[in-house]
Amino acid sequence: MTGCHVREELGAYLLGALDPEEHDAVAAHVRDCPECAAERDRLAALPPLIAHADGLEIPAPPPAVEERLLDRVASSRPRPHRRRRFRMRSALVAGLAGLVIGAAATALALSFGDDGTPQVRTYQLALAGTSGASARAELQPGRGGTVVHLWVRGLPPGSKAVYEVRCENAKWSASAGTFRADDQGRAVVVLTTAARVGEYERIRVVRGDESVLTGSLN
Amino acid sequence: MPPPPTEDAQLVERLRTDESGEAMRSLYRIYGGELYGFAHRSLGDRGLAEEIVQEVFLRAWRHAGRYDPSRAAVRTWLYQICRHAIIDARRRASARPGLAHEATDEEAAGGATLEQAMLGWQVAAALERLTPEHRQMIRMAQFRGLTMREISEHTGLPLGTVKSRTWYALRSLRLVLEEMGVVPS
Repeated sequence: MTGCHVREELGAYLLGALDPEEHDAVAAHVRDCPECAAERDRLAALPPLIAHADGLEIPAPPPAVEERLLDRVASSRPRPHRRRRFRMRSALVAGLAGLVIGAAATALALSFGDDGTPQVRTYQLALAGTSGASARAELQPGRGGTVVHLWVRGLPPGSKAVYEVRCENAKWSASAGTFRADDQGRAVVVLTTAARVGEYERIRVVRGDESVLTGSLN
Repeated sequence: MPPPPTEDAQLVERLRTDESGEAMRSLYRIYGGELYGFAHRSLGDRGLAEEIVQEVFLRAWRHAGRYDPSRAAVRTWLYQICRHAIIDARRRASARPGLAHEATDEEAAGGATLEQAMLGWQVAAALERLTPEHRQMIRMAQFRGLTMREISEHTGLPLGTVKSRTWYALRSLRLVLEEMGVVPS
């Protein structure tokens, strides 16, 4: 590229941002300068394109959208048939052997892999709040996150409030979804989150910024 | 030999097998904002736009195996999915008089087709990739209609600097738009 001094005015020229005399001078120069003419042709399509973006600012979607998307992907993943077969076989073996897995246990082994090691465990925990509400949660690890089964009671009856379930640790908080209570202040819901068991330390039910119920996995 | 797949094309390739969700999260963080803006402006409804954006990425996840990087950039592919999702949403809304009326009004007032809107959001995304200094020159000249002299007075920069910066800004934008597949290289 040569050092033609007019070249650097081509941007302003194409955007119509030169004074009329300057504009005419650049136009006259471009007629006689093939290199500037080529540069003008290369950039000429841009101003009408830029006009389409007038007034557009890339927004940030609400953070919950990302979590809901990841939850939907996780819950849409097909479960492998092989694992299901092993789960059924394990249940049968467990039944025949008369094994009783303690209902009071906080973790319940449900299936076994080829080497006999537990693969899927369902974690149970209790959630308590300050306003008399209580809940029981069962966390079922999935391949893409956690399925959260939640039984809640003691919420304000007939309330139209929307409650959100969050899986949290000290550094972050992931939504597992939202629910409403029924006329008796109860709710039974199944939600999903992309967060995996082990990545979070507690489950919280919140209403806006207010913490309603909390349960720890430790 | 075909060119190596771009970073976002690799993310699409990983979508189906990546159980951690990280590929989806990365792809969403690159394109979620502009697609949300596109859907929001096209439908005039924030909640509907949130649904559309999720639907776009879910469809991308389901059909990731069909994505052919030699035919379209990832951005172009996602915008086409979004465009279809918006059209579907408008069809559904046509059964609900309130929303249908709103969408019709928006089109009549703006006059912009979905194709033009798609182009606008892609250019907006390209502008975001420029340096703040270059973006400022283009915005002041094109959107605010200021002359170089006025920009010089406004910013305190020498007139020559404003002119050369504007030229470099357009050159950079051209390169970004080529890379994005919006204009041919």
